[in-house]
Amino acid sequence: MLRFVAPALFLLGTGVAFAQTSGIPPEELTNTRRQAGDSITVCVDATGQSRAFDLDVAQAIGDALFLQVKPIEGFGGFPVNGDGFMDELTLAMNNTCDLFMGVSVSTEVQVSEVFSITRPYVTIPFVLAVANSDWQKLADIPLDQRLGTAMSSIGEMTYITWAQQRAKSERWVRLPYADPDLMASRVLDGTIAGMILWQPTLAKLRADRPDAQKLRTIATDPVAETAIRVGALVSSRDSFLRNQVDQAIDALVADGTIQGLLDKHHYLGHAGE
Amino acid sequence: MKIELMKTLFAATTALVALSGTAFAQGIENYKPVTADMLANPPAEDWLMFRGAYNNQGYSPLDLINKDTVGKLQLAWAWPMAEAGIQETAPLVHNGIMFLQTNNNIVEALDAKTGTLIWQYRHTLAELPTTWSYQINQARRQKNSIALYEDKVILTTADAKIVVLNASDGKLVWEKQVLDYNKGYSYTVGPLVADGKIISAISGCSIAGTAGGCYIMAHDVNTGDEVWRFNTINDPDNPAQQASWGDVPPENRWGGTPWTTGAYDPETNTTYWGVGMPGPYSELIRGSGDGSVLYTNSTLAIDVSTGKLKWYYQHLPRDNWDLDSPFERILVDQDIDGVKHKLLVTVPGKNGIAFALDRDTGKYLWSKETVYQNVVKSIDADGTVHINEDLISSAVGEEHLICTSVSGGKLWQAGSYSPLTQAYFVPLTEACNTVAPTQTEFTAGNAVGAVKFGPRVLPEGITDAGLMQALSVNPTQGESKWQYRSRPSMTSSVLATAGGLVFGGDAARDVKAWDQETGDVLWSQTLNAPIGGYPMTYEIDGEQYLAIPTGYSNAASSISSAFPEIPLPTGAGNSIFVFKLPKSAS
Repeated sequence: MLRFVAPALFLLGTGVAFAQTSGIPPEELTNTRRQAGDSITVCVDATGQSRAFDLDVAQAIGDALFLQVKPIEGFGGFPVNGDGFMDELTLAMNNTCDLFMGVSVSTEVQVSEVFSITRPYVTIPFVLAVANSDWQKLADIPLDQRLGTAMSSIGEMTYITWAQQRAKSERWVRLPYADPDLMASRVLDGTIAGMILWQPTLAKLRADRPDAQKLRTIATDPVAETAIRVGALVSSRDSFLRNQVDQAIDALVADGTIQGLLDKHHYLGHAGE
Repeated sequence: MKIELMKTLFAATTALVALSGTAFAQGIENYKPVTADMLANPPAEDWLMFRGAYNNQGYSPLDLINKDTVGKLQLAWAWPMAEAGIQETAPLVHNGIMFLQTNNNIVEALDAKTGTLIWQYRHTLAELPTTWSYQINQARRQKNSIALYEDKVILTTADAKIVVLNASDGKLVWEKQVLDYNKGYSYTVGPLVADGKIISAISGCSIAGTAGGCYIMAHDVNTGDEVWRFNTINDPDNPAQQASWGDVPPENRWGGTPWTTGAYDPETNTTYWGVGMPGPYSELIRGSGDGSVLYTNSTLAIDVSTGKLKWYYQHLPRDNWDLDSPFERILVDQDIDGVKHKLLVTVPGKNGIAFALDRDTGKYLWSKETVYQNVVKSIDADGTVHINEDLISSAVGEEHLICTSVSGGKLWQAGSYSPLTQAYFVPLTEACNTVAPTQTEFTAGNAVGAVKFGPRVLPEGITDAGLMQALSVNPTQGESKWQYRSRPSMTSSVLATAGGLVFGGDAARDVKAWDQETGDVLWSQTLNAPIGGYPMTYEIDGEQYLAIPTGYSNAASSISSAFPEIPLPTGAGNSIFVFKLPKSAS
């Protein structure tokens, strides 16, 4: 088994950003078969933006498959450059997690031999949030104002791609933020005019901070809307589970369970792709 | 009531730390303190700090093991290190004791003559919460240095503490929480003790919570009180530094981590540190435009009394490829025609370019390319570095082949300078990779990474990954003295000695001794795992010992596909092998 793991690690190590770390000492990887019985271990990113929602979806998947769900706070707290991220993800998916919820399904998703990705269970948009009540869309914001973007997000990518096609005088200066709390504070204190962030992040800010009630969403015109399709990782040790989870997701999308959870958490978007 | 309970809990925790911190404690009798004078003028038989001396030369004046005798080296003892991890350890020796730090901040004291364990200290990290994944990852590295001072052993930890141990029994004397690990701060670089201060630098400077602050810091060696800190990405005293980030205010800046223990010049009370890359890697993402993003990829000269910057020199402005420049700064004195020249010599960054600076003024003296690289187009006579702007992505997803790679060229493995031959020996790797700015949003809405790197490959036309480069160094130029190329990559730091030898090793598990003058391999030994860490040497009872760390190597695994005929071990095998000459030979 380790003979196969070693090349896999090389592939992983090459796929991601890192400054001073690379690879995993082989002893760190367990080489045992899980004796899980009728339960599945479900991990989430402890710093994830939609953690509670994702755990609700996991519970629904477990219920659909007659499996007991054992939630585990996964990992989080990585550098903005992803240093060490794939090392820890590899360890988590090899050693601990059957499912890892809340994963962005896109062309840029990380690939690995230790996990595969399910079909999306939900699609949720990025939004533009501002505090100024005069603005109804991005185009209403004067060009001498600055915007914040959730750093390295798909929403940021859409903005950068749009901005690169325009002269500097015809676009807003953009500042990257890794901390949504700080970005919200800067919108509220006027340092930046607005922020492009994932809607569940805004929902969480509104839930956590009374002053965030002043934030409202406006249209992103002239920048195109962006949405994330959200799925889960399944450990490669159990390919049967992957098929079962996909079927469960289909059923939960079809019977309205996912939509019900979106409503429960005040999320925009829609079930499935 | 709550406060009292907290106090009780805190006291209980502290007691637990004290009790559990030391697993074995036989004790060392008559341990001789390491004085400030010793640090300034290390005894030849000892190896008192990271690279042997304040000058970071990685050079030993011992010469019993030399060109004539090296072929007779025999194994004296070996020791498996406390835990698996990435092998980057830098053993120290004093008073016949080897002090060895392994990953997870475990420190062991061994009898340097026999390898017998005397004591072991296990730093009690709090149970790492799930939001500490970066610290967990960093704790798995074998930390690269600890420090000795008076009767203490000083280490920096993955949970951002300075920990001071009693050298004779490994018991905790005091510890200081330097920065908040909950924000992401973590030590990966070891301390330097100079001028009554513990000088070190923090890592974790690319985590969301650490935005705007990455520090080289000094703490009082006796009390742990902070004396000064210098922020590598926000210097209010230098408008040029602020302007170099374009529109980006300090709270939106990341990076600037000093990854390697600095050098120190007692004569001027100056410490010299290298600084790493900016974050995010791509200017397209970080929003800094064509700014040079100071002080990333720079050498900093800092006044040890005040913490003020004396000068800086940027080796790679406007980095877009994670080609950071934090590696060892070596201080070299050369007397030429009655004039003393005070140089700082370094291969600071992953692109492998060697530089020499006047270390009193920061003036650029010369540079010299080593491995194949395509990111620096030219360097002017005044030291202005011109990058290849064709390799800067102007759109998300735009990919370029960058040489060297994110794994080097040069990496953490330190070179050494030999006053004997006035040569600088540098372990290097030939490698390229594709780089494209992208959005890697793993858990939805919570991004971790903005650049996609391709596999490490050899540059076109090159079949050997490994390069041992010897450079003849003087104040006016650095010229190639010899090169030794090998299929496997170099995986260890190197050690030069007065015996005319330079020691180092590779991914093929071979430790070698080269003739400093010719590059001829005079001795080679295959060990259990890739050669790693920082080889060093010491002397006890008239016998010279050579210590070689081995173990799991990122420098080996990152480019192992370039030499598939050389399989890497599937176990880490982190160990120390110690060689010496038979009595008759020495």
